[in-house]
Amino acid sequence: MKNKSLSFWLFLTPTLVALALVVFIPMLEGLFYSFTDWDGLSFTKVVGFKNYMALLQDKAFGNAFWFTVAFVIVTVILLNVIGLGLALLVTQKFKGNNFLRAIFFMPNMIGGLILGFIWQFIFTQGFSALGSALHMTVFQNWLTNSLTGFWGLVIVTVWQMSGYIMIIYIAYLQNIPSEVIEAAEIDGASAWQRFTRITFPMIAPAFTVCMFLTLSNGFKIYDQNLSLTNGGPYNSTQMLAMDIVNTAYNSSDFALAEAKAMVFFLIVAAISLVQVFYNRKREGDF
Amino acid sequence: MKKMWKKLGLVSLLAGVTLTLAACGSKSADGGNVKITILQGKVESNKQFKAIAKKYEKAHPNVKIEITSIGGGTQYNPVLKTRISSGNAPTIFSLDGPASVKQFKNYTADLTDTKAAKAAIPSTLDTVKSQGKVYGLPFNIEGYGFVYNKAVFEKAGIDPKSLTTYDKLEAAVKTLNEQKEQLGIKGVFALPGKESWILSDHLLNVYLSKEFDGNSQKLYTSKKMKFENNAEMKQMIDLQKEYSVQPVMQMDYAGQVNQNFAQGKVAMIQQGDWIYETVNQIDAKFAQDGIGMIPMPVKEQQGKMPVGTSIYWAVNKRKSTDEQKAAKDFLNWLYTSKEGKKDVVEKLHFVPAYKGYGDVKMPDALTQSVYDYSQKKATFGWVFPGYTGTSWDPDVAQPNLQKYLSGDQDWQKTVSNMKDGWTKQQTK
Repeated sequence: MKNKSLSFWLFLTPTLVALALVVFIPMLEGLFYSFTDWDGLSFTKVVGFKNYMALLQDKAFGNAFWFTVAFVIVTVILLNVIGLGLALLVTQKFKGNNFLRAIFFMPNMIGGLILGFIWQFIFTQGFSALGSALHMTVFQNWLTNSLTGFWGLVIVTVWQMSGYIMIIYIAYLQNIPSEVIEAAEIDGASAWQRFTRITFPMIAPAFTVCMFLTLSNGFKIYDQNLSLTNGGPYNSTQMLAMDIVNTAYNSSDFALAEAKAMVFFLIVAAISLVQVFYNRKREGDF
Repeated sequence: MKKMWKKLGLVSLLAGVTLTLAACGSKSADGGNVKITILQGKVESNKQFKAIAKKYEKAHPNVKIEITSIGGGTQYNPVLKTRISSGNAPTIFSLDGPASVKQFKNYTADLTDTKAAKAAIPSTLDTVKSQGKVYGLPFNIEGYGFVYNKAVFEKAGIDPKSLTTYDKLEAAVKTLNEQKEQLGIKGVFALPGKESWILSDHLLNVYLSKEFDGNSQKLYTSKKMKFENNAEMKQMIDLQKEYSVQPVMQMDYAGQVNQNFAQGKVAMIQQGDWIYETVNQIDAKFAQDGIGMIPMPVKEQQGKMPVGTSIYWAVNKRKSTDEQKAAKDFLNWLYTSKEGKKDVVEKLHFVPAYKGYGDVKMPDALTQSVYDYSQKKATFGWVFPGYTGTSWDPDVAQPNLQKYLSGDQDWQKTVSNMKDGWTKQQTK
């Protein structure tokens, strides 16, 4: 038994060391700095909760927070609906469904930054060319105000992540025993009833996973934000992660940025934990 | 079986720990030879600096110079801070104003007694002086205004040098706009709404400079800004916006300079002499013969061009005395030796910020115009380095000006937000 524990810990040590050096220790350091007046190089005094009080009054942080919340709500719904829809589509038996799976997953392989730039080109040059050809003003001036910036970000994120969510739903859909579906069909259940009473509850674990992924990913979006709108115009499409980075680098207020980062961590952790807990409970009783 | 697992575990533990430790770098000393590292913020001059450094190394075989340039979207200060925090600080770095002098005061060496500092034009040193000592050496002096397309103005029969008042400018703009099709231009101006610094740094400076005597230190230490001629700034923004290639809010620097101006699609743009290299890469002939620059007409600065320095060299005082001496020697050589002075003008296209250059013939029309105005003493100073590097610029000035430009806020509110924001920051 003693030998087993030793090799167990030996295997674990490299990963633990790496995690500690790259995640845990910097987090603790950051937590400490958030209580000082650190400017990125050194600090002169401990200022207690001053930074946390400041961020509560920071309008930019508040705007970024609500913008991000709206974004998360919209993308979680869209991603799960579209992801599940695509998964249901490609698990039907028809020729080319494997090919479709690959196609739908491909956007996910492009990095967020490059995707943002590609879509920026589409939204600005492509859409305005389309708009002037069709004489429809709805296609003009995309990304020049916070409304089109918001929907632009939603479109890019949903387009990129749907394939990934689809794959997860496919995995769970394929685990549903076909006998149960057939039995229901024989018993006269309609397609809608089969879906809502059998398929849907049996992929409940998939929901837990997918909601968690889309929730936490939505809060942490930065690459697409940077390349698509860069927070503009006038910081109206600035999401939480970007606000924190800009506070640190543009305004050189590292201590405040650390405080914001701590609050950000607490928010995302709290929401994710609540969601997983709630979903797990629902998984348990059906 | 258990023995094999134990061995495997030990091996992976060793590998893991070694890899982790190897990630921490190691330093090595060199006897007699000195290596200086430069981290500088003028990315447009990267190639030229490296060529000059190679030349210097040949003449001084015991000195090695390693240059890294930052810019074009990447912020300079964060990279510098990262290099310092990771123990990889450069010997020579860049400062852009009083705020960065303060931030890096534990690293900036006193350069008051260097040859270059003594040769510098005194007004260029105001920004990097602290308690009477000089902590930076200016790269060059630069100027901005309206960079114009000579052929378009000729065709329209307008002499750009005659546009010395706002009314004359407005009349010319209207004429150019009416003849857009014959002149082959898409618009008179190209205003990049996305580049908020063009409004908050360059344009605002034109209307703030007199209040602070053209001295960025005065602005940096002020408690409030009066900004009494803000109505003039509104006029200029509105004029540029109305007669610009649309949509203004979607245009960025590349759209303004590369796409529109360098390809002859607009009559003029608000920019500075630093765009020469960008235009040169797209249309060398146009850059050489087809462009010129005039100052923007401002009531209290008639006929004067805003000229100043945006970036300074600083020497790291935490490096060894040998390294610091080698760094100072290089900078002195660059700006005061015969060889160096020639390169500064001809290779770098820098308008010299130092005395002792005699009569200079600048190699391009834009830097030549900056040189002419500074020789005539028809210039006023840059005060905006007094607020770049403070949070007012990205958090108050830029968003408010952009909001006004996109039509979502009226001018009075924009001005009062800016003035209140400045007072709030300066009296914290």
